[in-house]
Amino acid sequence: MADRYSFSLTTFSPSGKLVQIEYAFQAVNQGVTSLGIKASNGVVLATEKKSTSDLIDASSLSKISNITPDIGMVYSGMGPDFRVLVDKARKSSHTNYKRIYNEYPPTRILVQDVARTMQEATQSGGVRPYGVSLLVGGYDVDNGFSLYQVDPSGTYFPWKATAIGKGSTSAKTFLEKRWTEDLELEDAIHIALLTLKESVEGEMNGNTVEIGVIGPASDHLLGFEGVKNVPGPRFRKLSPREIDDRLDAL
Amino acid sequence: MDVILGLTTKDAVIVATSMAAVRGVSILKADDDKTRIVAPHTLVAYTGEAGDTVQFAEYVQANIQLHGIRNETELSPPAITSFVRSELAKSLRSRKPYQVNILIGGYDTATETPYLYWVDYLASRAQVPYAAHGYAAYYTLSLLDRWYKTDLSLEEGMKIMEMCVTELRTRLPIDFKGIQIKIIDRDGVRTA
Repeated sequence: MADRYSFSLTTFSPSGKLVQIEYAFQAVNQGVTSLGIKASNGVVLATEKKSTSDLIDASSLSKISNITPDIGMVYSGMGPDFRVLVDKARKSSHTNYKRIYNEYPPTRILVQDVARTMQEATQSGGVRPYGVSLLVGGYDVDNGFSLYQVDPSGTYFPWKATAIGKGSTSAKTFLEKRWTEDLELEDAIHIALLTLKESVEGEMNGNTVEIGVIGPASDHLLGFEGVKNVPGPRFRKLSPREIDDRLDAL
Repeated sequence: MDVILGLTTKDAVIVATSMAAVRGVSILKADDDKTRIVAPHTLVAYTGEAGDTVQFAEYVQANIQLHGIRNETELSPPAITSFVRSELAKSLRSRKPYQVNILIGGYDTATETPYLYWVDYLASRAQVPYAAHGYAAYYTLSLLDRWYKTDLSLEEGMKIMEMCVTELRTRLPIDFKGIQIKIIDRDGVRTA
């Protein structure tokens, strides 16, 4: 298959555009809204878990995934493409970083790696671009908390707060009004839920909304205790109950 | 007979290396620097097979500097040491392993701690408060065991280093042409 398709399917149009990437952006904009907010002491990632039927077991589907203990990722667009990128990011964080330096990569370096993967799909033979935009939130010692967006073209941007997907334009305006430099994590979660509320069509509760948080280290999530100098993961998902409690407080 | 020693103080690492470069029955030079600065706050001191030492140290230096340029960040001493150790481990099962023993002295600016690692050609690694490679270890480790304590000031550390050097001058049968001292702290690497 490789020799029959050694030419790229993503080629320039006469006007200088890469139409396949534009179409990939369309796929993203048809996807469910996702947003990310960077606070002074953490990052929030949020998305709607839109199901086509009430018979779907929502608890078995996870749209916000962790890549390393301190980095999490959410998407808008094609779910299967997201799964592939999550698997590649998880593997690459080990083979290209942890197995050499014995520590997990900082957020920016992992983002660059994912961005390279997505760019390669716009310039390689026989493949199409990934139909997702990603929001990557993470923590590392040198840079603190950070939030990045990665697009199907392979471009990546750092953000203070942003949204992607269907309701992203209005969500971004909403966030612009509410984001401040000294936001705390709980405030950011509150704003995230308010913002999602604007774009969610059906019911909004702990089972239809997914929230991931990169915050203080959670030693209870380690899976073991009694070992010194091993901090717990900073990434954790809010349980449906925790989300419902906060929705009640809105 | 090359001497390399290391010692951590409260806010710094002191690395001492002998200055004689000997081949056969001749002393080639008396101001040989047996170290390479691999990152702004990390130094690698080496000893071992002629040629392998400098080739390996400069290979590490190039890779760590490239990482710094590509990613606009400085790797911490533990991360650098993990890289060095994994390269020695790969080398060990190759046709001709690098016969290089190393001391890595570094200051982690993120956590404000000094680090000293003892790494040998078999890719063993140990984080230690003080260290030596080769014959020098036989004479100096006992002195360091006796006089070392945690949270030494730089002057106290230098005094202990002086004791070690005096002992080596007394007991080693060859003239190693003096010691060069490097200090690694929050301001980087400097020669004492």
